[in-house]
Amino acid sequence: MSPRHSFRCFARGLGLSLSKPYLAVSLWLIQLLLASVLILPISNALHDELDHSVAGSRMVANPDWGWWETIQRQHPDLLGKFPDLASGLLTAEGVKSSQLGELRGIGATAVALAMLAVALHAFALGGIFGTLREPQASLVSFGREGMRRFPAFLAFTFAALAASLAAYRWVYLETGSALKNRVQELDTEGRALTITGLRVLALLLVLGAIKLIADSVRATWVARPDLPPISRFFTGVGGSLSRPLRLFGVLLWYVILTALLYVVWLIADPSAGGEARLALVPLILIQQIFVFLRLLVKVGYYAGVSEALSRDPSPEYSYVPASAAPTSEPPAEVGSVPLE
Amino acid sequence: MLSAKAGAIALAALGAPLFLSAQGADLTPPIASYEISCRLDTEKKIVEGTELLTWTNRTSKPAETLRFHLYLNAFRNNRSTLWKEARGEGRTGPMTESWGSLEILRMTLEDNTDLLPTLSFLSPDDGNSDDRTVAEVRLPRPVLPGQTIRVAVDFRSRLPRVSRRTGYKGDFYLVAQWFPKVGVLEETGWNCHQFHASSEFFADFGNYDVSIDVPVRFRGKVGATGAQIEERPSGGGDRLTYRFRQRSVHDFAWTAQPEYLVVHDHFHEAGLHDVDITLLLQPEHAGQADRHLRAARAALSGYGRVLGPYPYDTLTIVDPPWGARAAGGMEYPTFFTAGTYLSAPASVHSPEGVTIHEFGHQYFYGLLASNEFEEPYLDEGFNTYMTGRVLANSYGPNHPVLSIFGLRFPLGIDQHYPVDANRRFFGVATRDIHATWSWRYRDPQVYGPLVYSHTALALATLERLVGTNVMDRALRLYADRWRFRHPHLQDFLAAVHDTTGRDWGWYFERTFFSSGTVDYAVEEATSVPAKPPKGLFEKDGLLTEGPPAELGKARGWESVVTVVRRGETALPVEILLRFAGGKTFRTLWDGEARWTRFTVSRGPKLVEAIVDPDEKILLDADRFNNGRRVDGDPRAAARWTSRAVYWVQNLIDFLTVAW
Repeated sequence: MSPRHSFRCFARGLGLSLSKPYLAVSLWLIQLLLASVLILPISNALHDELDHSVAGSRMVANPDWGWWETIQRQHPDLLGKFPDLASGLLTAEGVKSSQLGELRGIGATAVALAMLAVALHAFALGGIFGTLREPQASLVSFGREGMRRFPAFLAFTFAALAASLAAYRWVYLETGSALKNRVQELDTEGRALTITGLRVLALLLVLGAIKLIADSVRATWVARPDLPPISRFFTGVGGSLSRPLRLFGVLLWYVILTALLYVVWLIADPSAGGEARLALVPLILIQQIFVFLRLLVKVGYYAGVSEALSRDPSPEYSYVPASAAPTSEPPAEVGSVPLE
Repeated sequence: MLSAKAGAIALAALGAPLFLSAQGADLTPPIASYEISCRLDTEKKIVEGTELLTWTNRTSKPAETLRFHLYLNAFRNNRSTLWKEARGEGRTGPMTESWGSLEILRMTLEDNTDLLPTLSFLSPDDGNSDDRTVAEVRLPRPVLPGQTIRVAVDFRSRLPRVSRRTGYKGDFYLVAQWFPKVGVLEETGWNCHQFHASSEFFADFGNYDVSIDVPVRFRGKVGATGAQIEERPSGGGDRLTYRFRQRSVHDFAWTAQPEYLVVHDHFHEAGLHDVDITLLLQPEHAGQADRHLRAARAALSGYGRVLGPYPYDTLTIVDPPWGARAAGGMEYPTFFTAGTYLSAPASVHSPEGVTIHEFGHQYFYGLLASNEFEEPYLDEGFNTYMTGRVLANSYGPNHPVLSIFGLRFPLGIDQHYPVDANRRFFGVATRDIHATWSWRYRDPQVYGPLVYSHTALALATLERLVGTNVMDRALRLYADRWRFRHPHLQDFLAAVHDTTGRDWGWYFERTFFSSGTVDYAVEEATSVPAKPPKGLFEKDGLLTEGPPAELGKARGWESVVTVVRRGETALPVEILLRFAGGKTFRTLWDGEARWTRFTVSRGPKLVEAIVDPDEKILLDADRFNNGRRVDGDPRAAARWTSRAVYWVQNLIDFLTVAW
């Protein structure tokens, strides 16, 4: 399995995503609607605090650390301990479920919103995988396919979420606790950082594996309606196990391209410099275009996973039904892909 | 182990007169001088030694006893006062169950009177009978005022694995608080506190001559208080003895690690004392040597210019290794530990900040040897204030960092000294008063914010009220008066009074001795077009409807500004009203009342009102309500809303990436 093969799969997926932009549009709409739940409380709080404040004019361009600290201290009702919880996710100690009780206002809403986002993610994936297999598809088919697969995909998504949280705990946090004293006894900080790096790498690999298994199951679930549910599930799992490198390759290309987009964003930094660089409306437009581009890549990844599973199927784990001749060429319905 | 008897004879032969002549004139008359000869056993992690204490009673009363600090006994078991106060927490995590101790094996006077049978342990601070960090011996004859005695002590120090301040990690040794050290005799009796979680320093000045015997693998890798004057082979060639001397200091610490990268530098600046700087760096931090040295030079210059020259010839900076960070950030005379990370970005100003701060203790603790137990703000707080000044002058604003998986990334948000560096105070402002003894604060969480941060903000506020030049003169006066002595807060107040010609006692009463917060706010700032007068007016002695012609036409704006005091503590503040056309009105309000109001009739339109426009009152808990614009400017809120939406969209996407 060469990187070239996985890149081909990813590139074909990206081509599919570009040929069906409404998939990215639908994801963008979902994310925008979710975010919009927070717009009014955030906007009202900011206008209330900044519009008449002499600090406001200083903050058009740059954040003010002192203002942020003061807001959290003077208005604990606004966020509760949300910043502590968010930063705690990245520490060796992690986050305890009891900390959820310390959330208030926008902070509590944000966590509730995250759960809703996970559920809508399941719906969106049903729509994407279903629509990718239809030659004549539209937003309507996205919605229909999403709802059709919703119960099963919701179960897969929550199972994958639970597995990811378990991995975070057992692969990252618990190893950190177990190794803490030993790491302190190492000779150099460099060695300690290496241990931390290995833990992070292990976590990323496990998370990647969970994601690929979940996506493989989803893709197979859509592609093999001829199989009973249990068989579909295990065929999906088997599919991911039979092509691990190819799937990891597709995931890696997705991560690289997404990271590249963020690097471009950080370098261009369109929100810097107050009004000097971009006025508000162009800034919002640029932000949303970036989000849309990123979602195009994301849809491309899912299509790439389908590609990786459908090309050169192994005898044991056939992605496509036996009646449909497996081929190294793309399936008929996706034959219009301009790549390859 | 050295033979105790042989060691004592050797030390007696060397004698104090020889020592003093070798060192020239003392900077201050010595009270407690030590000649110590010790041997490091790296297998057992033990330092065994003999000390000859030369102590002079400089009070007006005879001394019938001697009290000693035996600080390593704080690590003897988990029933010590240190363990109880720290609740088992070290400086960087739970304290390791690696026990330390300091045993006195022999204690005799010059006439060989054995003092050991009279030794008893005391717990003057908390009555904890399990604590063994203070010991007292009864003298056969009182030491009369002005009289000097010599006491020979054999001791054995068992070092703990570093979890607080002192100890070892692998082959790294930070040997501090390691020898029996006499307390401070005051007119009211012995001032000799136990070893506490938050404080440890108070001692008299004296001269130190210390010989340290280490295995040969530590060649050239031993650092200590004072200047190294000798390196000679010992123990049949497999060991080396290093000898260090320093006059007019009140403690002695040393370190050894075979891996140290030793870097030398020399500080020279016109008007200041030349200093040889030795940096003992971890090899993996070799790339940060210049950062340490630049910070040390900035500190020598910054502190020296304000408080007078650093008077010693040497300065040793120690970079503890990975796993021994709990030994970092500690100060001892002419010697301190810093601490850094492999990935410390330059914008974070670490190790610069810790280097400058720990050097600053050479003044606030070293030369101005205040009682850390009873007035901890005099060293930590005053030093934090000066650290901020030196950092700001030398490096400008710094940047906070984002910490992910132990990696630190600068965020690029300006963070300004001294307020942003001391914001932790505001969160605990009302929990306790500032001026209390170090172990009597409500909880450990308030100690740092009050002692370090509140003092720094209170002094920075005072600086802005009196002016930087006046503040510098007050600090210099305080430093000159109390160099090599034990000052109190009242002594600094006296220096401020003598410099300004005004009594500032009220200021310290409201800041150091009060738990009230300071918070002034502009609650109302409106400006509306003046309305034409209506109703009955006198005209030619008669009441007629309608205003006279000169009042008939409405002119200007009616402006109202209400400034309120939300905090409990009142301080005088300036108030600035800025009008359209550039006109301004500035006044000083004593800030005592809960509110004050300004009304301007038929004037220009009010643009904004600001309380404390020059940002002098750094103790203000909420600076962001200090100003109010009449016309709102929605730009900042709109842009940050758009950013927030964008971030939420990205966050949602990340949330769904893994599953």
